[in-house]
Amino acid sequence: MTCRSPIGAIALLAALLLPPLVLPDAGALAFDQSKYPDLKGQWLRVGPPRWDDQHAPLTSEYQAIYQANLKDMATGGQGIDPTYTCLSPGMPRIMNVYDPMEVVVTPGATHILIQHIHDVRRIFTDGRDWPKNEDPTFAGYSIGKWIDSKGTGRYDLLEVETRNLKGPRVYDSTGLPFHEDNATVINERIYLDKADPNLLHDDITVTDHALTRPFSANKKYSRNPDPQPVWLEAQCADGNHHVQIGKENYYVSEDGYLMPVKKDQAAPDLKYFKKK
Amino acid sequence: MLHRGSIGAVALLAALCLSAAGAGAFEDSQYPDFNGKWNRAPTPGAPRTPQPVYDPTKGWGKAQGAPLTPEYTAIFEANEKDQAEGGPGTTRGFTCRTGGMPLIMTLFQPMEVIVLPDTTYMLINRGNIQRRIFTDGRDWPKEIEPSYVGYSIGKWIDEGGTGHYTVLEAETRGFRGPRTYDASGLPLHTDEQSIVKERMYLDKTDKNVMHNQITVIDHALTRPWTVTKDYRRDPSPRPVFVEEICAEGNPWVQIGKEAYMLGAAGELMPSKKDQPPPDLKYFNQTKK
Repeated sequence: MTCRSPIGAIALLAALLLPPLVLPDAGALAFDQSKYPDLKGQWLRVGPPRWDDQHAPLTSEYQAIYQANLKDMATGGQGIDPTYTCLSPGMPRIMNVYDPMEVVVTPGATHILIQHIHDVRRIFTDGRDWPKNEDPTFAGYSIGKWIDSKGTGRYDLLEVETRNLKGPRVYDSTGLPFHEDNATVINERIYLDKADPNLLHDDITVTDHALTRPFSANKKYSRNPDPQPVWLEAQCADGNHHVQIGKENYYVSEDGYLMPVKKDQAAPDLKYFKKK
Repeated sequence: MLHRGSIGAVALLAALCLSAAGAGAFEDSQYPDFNGKWNRAPTPGAPRTPQPVYDPTKGWGKAQGAPLTPEYTAIFEANEKDQAEGGPGTTRGFTCRTGGMPLIMTLFQPMEVIVLPDTTYMLINRGNIQRRIFTDGRDWPKEIEPSYVGYSIGKWIDEGGTGHYTVLEAETRGFRGPRTYDASGLPLHTDEQSIVKERMYLDKTDKNVMHNQITVIDHALTRPWTVTKDYRRDPSPRPVFVEEICAEGNPWVQIGKEAYMLGAAGELMPSKKDQPPPDLKYFNQTKK
């Protein structure tokens, strides 16, 4: 039997231990973050932001497109990489993680936040089906499912499928192309490394009509140990010297003059300006 | 002195309290339901304006009644003249740079709000705006890398003493520019020392309406300027978030300090009467 004064002391101590804030409703919705892997923090790309273009199983048609693109780049052009105009890199190039990534997990969706250009993704995990009439996007429409692969009562794997993409998109800055039909399907398995919880894996498999078979890559990201990491704001237009006029790409010099990017490139037509 | 058994009970209770805190269970009901997709709400009786304005209850430009200093009134008037001739004035949205704070809170495009204990996220597609309001009790960093969106620290307030948070108070500093309040070109000071204070809360009678009372303190103003913006929640449980890429179909191009237009077929055109063409001195003109 417990004596009375210790009960009072326990009650007092309990009251002191409880946070002096707000208490949840009895029927409150609790988002139990402990059921999910700890993906908090700032994730930085491990390795170069590239895909293995030497082993990309491109069809012969798209291999020719890729080679023509490389030739254009060699002469000063941008090839078929559209991001110099500040278009979104789209999926799966977003997951190259050009700028640091934050992964925000909520029960209904996992948000991938990357500043870069337009590299924000929502991965819906609320059990929804594919929408019937949504406009295609560079990031695509992503549906995910949390998996408890070990039966421990905690999720350890996020499986994602992404469809409904728009283009033009390429895998990386080499201009490795996707099929222009944009019927790409991207499957991902996102999970923490078994030995290192500060290493995140994204196993990506792309199915695309420009490929003779699915093309896979394993992307890795390391967690910034800083508990309050700096999130830099990226504005593509800031310091972007490329301008597109018609179908031509030009360069604007530091002192504000329009310049050719290729030898003997024609100047833009000035017919709409008054002649002096 | 406590009974030995009671000491054990206290230790157990303390351990339970600590483990519960460490488990990371997040009680959504402690916070107002800010989640979802929010659209700019129409203001009944407000004057019609060419674009959404900073104070939604007032008209365009001068009619906003911004308490600008004489120096910045002159800058604004020069901007009005440039805009009347076809130029962008003091605005930089045509270059696809974000308008920054506080313009972004006008919600030119819908906003998603995600409330988590340490951070409230505000995501707006236009300009790829990812605003973080840190609510983890941090202090201002010694050095802030300036940004258009700024660095925001917030605090949840249980204003009614009901046991639930009702108001998110946020303060934002650490800006870069140029920034304007809206597309009319009402300018903020170029020293970028603005401080933006916000109080965000749900309407007492309609939980699908959020109010944001914004007060700007800025050296281009003679006194703090306060406006209240209203947002309405999209009733769809699965709202559509449209991807808007500013660069797609942007008819503006900046060469040096001049803003030009692109025609339907991409031809370079003047944006103002008698605007001179860009200097093409780096091109081999004899080849044409």
